[in-house]
Amino acid sequence: MTFDFSNFINNFPILAIMSLFLGAFVSSLVGRRSAKVRNTVVFLSMLISLVLILALIKPVLLEGKIINYWLGNWEPVNGWAFGNSLEVDALSLFFALIVVVAVFVSGVYSFFYMSHDDSLVNYYTLFLMLSGSVLGLVLSGDLFNMFVMIEIMTFTAVALTAFRNHYEGALEGAFKYLVVGSLGSTSVLIGIALIYSQMHTLNLAQIAAMLPGYDSPVILIAFAFLFVGFGSKAFLFPFHPLAADAHAVAPASISLMISGVLTKCGVYGIIRLCYCLYQNMDQTFVQYFVTGIGVISMFVCVTMAFNQHNFKRLLAFHSISQVGYVITVIGLGSALGMSAGLFHAMNHTIFKGLLFLTAGAVQHATGSLDLDELGGLSKKMPGTCALFLIGAASISGLPPFNGFASKWMIYQATFQKAGETGNFFFVVVCVAALITSVLTLASFIKVAQSVFFGQLNLKFANTKEVSLGMRIPMWILAALCILPGLFPDKVQQWLLTPATQAAMNAPGYIDAAMGSGYAASFAIPAYQPQQIFLSGAWQPVMWLLLLISVTLAVCIVALLGGDEKATVTSEISADTDCDPKYDSFFSGEASVYSQVGGSDLFWGFKHNWRRYFSFMHDWHSGVVNDYTLYGTAAIAVALVLCVIFL
Amino acid sequence: MIFTNYLVCFVLIALGIYCMVTKKNLFKICVGMGLVDYGVNLLIVSVGFHAGGTAPIFNISELTRDSFFVDPIPQALTLTSIVIGACTTAMTLSLIIMLYKQYGTLESDQIRRLRG
Repeated sequence: MTFDFSNFINNFPILAIMSLFLGAFVSSLVGRRSAKVRNTVVFLSMLISLVLILALIKPVLLEGKIINYWLGNWEPVNGWAFGNSLEVDALSLFFALIVVVAVFVSGVYSFFYMSHDDSLVNYYTLFLMLSGSVLGLVLSGDLFNMFVMIEIMTFTAVALTAFRNHYEGALEGAFKYLVVGSLGSTSVLIGIALIYSQMHTLNLAQIAAMLPGYDSPVILIAFAFLFVGFGSKAFLFPFHPLAADAHAVAPASISLMISGVLTKCGVYGIIRLCYCLYQNMDQTFVQYFVTGIGVISMFVCVTMAFNQHNFKRLLAFHSISQVGYVITVIGLGSALGMSAGLFHAMNHTIFKGLLFLTAGAVQHATGSLDLDELGGLSKKMPGTCALFLIGAASISGLPPFNGFASKWMIYQATFQKAGETGNFFFVVVCVAALITSVLTLASFIKVAQSVFFGQLNLKFANTKEVSLGMRIPMWILAALCILPGLFPDKVQQWLLTPATQAAMNAPGYIDAAMGSGYAASFAIPAYQPQQIFLSGAWQPVMWLLLLISVTLAVCIVALLGGDEKATVTSEISADTDCDPKYDSFFSGEASVYSQVGGSDLFWGFKHNWRRYFSFMHDWHSGVVNDYTLYGTAAIAVALVLCVIFL
Repeated sequence: MIFTNYLVCFVLIALGIYCMVTKKNLFKICVGMGLVDYGVNLLIVSVGFHAGGTAPIFNISELTRDSFFVDPIPQALTLTSIVIGACTTAMTLSLIIMLYKQYGTLESDQIRRLRG
């Protein structure tokens, strides 16, 4: 008997998922005795799943094979899929790669970061279950399986959020996440039940074949429910308060998982829903709907980040803002948009993971996350400071980091869409994407100033750099920030193009599962591979040179022009604001201890927008009933819109 | 008959969500989540119900075009969903107990340290 490797790799997806779940089981069995055994088990199970998924890169991403694994060998009979299946195409594998790399980094970081906590067996069991469920979700070829995985994911994430239950607010954040998250899960379940009532099957490929030609209002209602359900898992507007609450109180390694991996599951669900199941991305309404949600999330969250005083809560709002970018370009429906969205999804996991881990390092070293309290840590923690600056430059889209490459593609995609359709809406989208990026940069200047530069708080005079074991995972992520930024064309060629083509190739996905010719028998036209045109320059190094030269030019002009201080001559009168604090940015008013100006670098900005900010502050009331109401309202609005327009 | 099912499940879901949105007591919120779960379970079972169908127990040789039976898959889905619902309730209750110990209250509008 010869060993047939090309068939044997069909087992890799299920083995990768099993290794994580088995690891969870075994580590809780043997882990109570000794920490070493437990860590070995956890490390091995993460490593096995990483290796197995990496081994799939060559056949799936480069050779375009679609792996189908029918559990119990229940293959389809007469065009009906009875069995449960895993279906791995390039899109699934792309997200699986994000998941396993993030899990590995987060797990290794946990070994050192969590070492001061007790009952770590529970932590690792939940952690591995979370990882396994997320991997199962992106590799699944069955709708109900996806729901089960979403539920496991939500529960374990809630439990891990509350893991440090002595922290202020940990239980509260977990409770809100559980209540409102269960509303999202219920929404997914209702959508699945409605689809099953019409299609009588749960296999993704078979539903994808039957749905587009099927005309029934029930299907439209199901679309609304599924979209809101997956959207709630990606924490899109109006579910974003949950993310902020959960991130701020969870351990940093779990924040990485929630922002880097769980939100990606929501994004994956939305891509599968719109591009594969319904294939309705060419309809103008769906484009407006998805892009609109993305733009609102991206803008609201970046402005909310201005008001935050907790390091991780601020990062959480930025995280949702970046997911908003991803959803925005995915909603454009073009190949370039899809490609940009996938690239940014990948980069978001990397740079946001890095930022959360540096926040965790700061917390580990100082015990505080309060931006008003920290400061001057660059002298005490130079390594962490450098890592933070890399992450901050990436998320703000500075060349030559990865954030620049993907944001540049996002601008091109929105610009191209606006140019092609001549639609004012997409022009607004393009401008909103640019403004959001500027606000992100501004916000991260504030964070860098408040945490790493400025004056050192005497409380933290004895702060020490974190251990090497914590810095190595961060350096891995930092390297991943730089490499795609330097070689975006390679990433495009090896990862993005196959994943984009797979995402848009619904007939290929159907035929791989149900036998060739199945999609054609439902009158789904064969897929024509789409070209991804990149307009404009695509040279990060050149942009870096441009940035440096412009900065130099500004400095020279500023030096030559002398330093005439702008003299403020505004008079305080009854009809202007009576608060002299806002007259200039540099008034010397005594304030609470803070690194940035008297109270903040953005006084003028905040003052002019004070009504918006105070409205948003009240809107994020922190009461679980309100958040449930927003979620219910989102479902209601989505239902009404889908029934009217779709 | 099946129409009653759909009506009841709609009412259950609506009541559950009403409960989650308006009731300030954490236990009542938990009850609301339970009601939504039951409503969805009823919806799934009703989806697979055929009036007059038999139990879906067949040999592969007995199965013909004329065999008329209740769809078994939704029932399996409901079982899964019930288990998940029980887990949700257990987890919510345990969080409520811990919250009460920490905050000393069960009113949701007093449990809002994370906001803004």
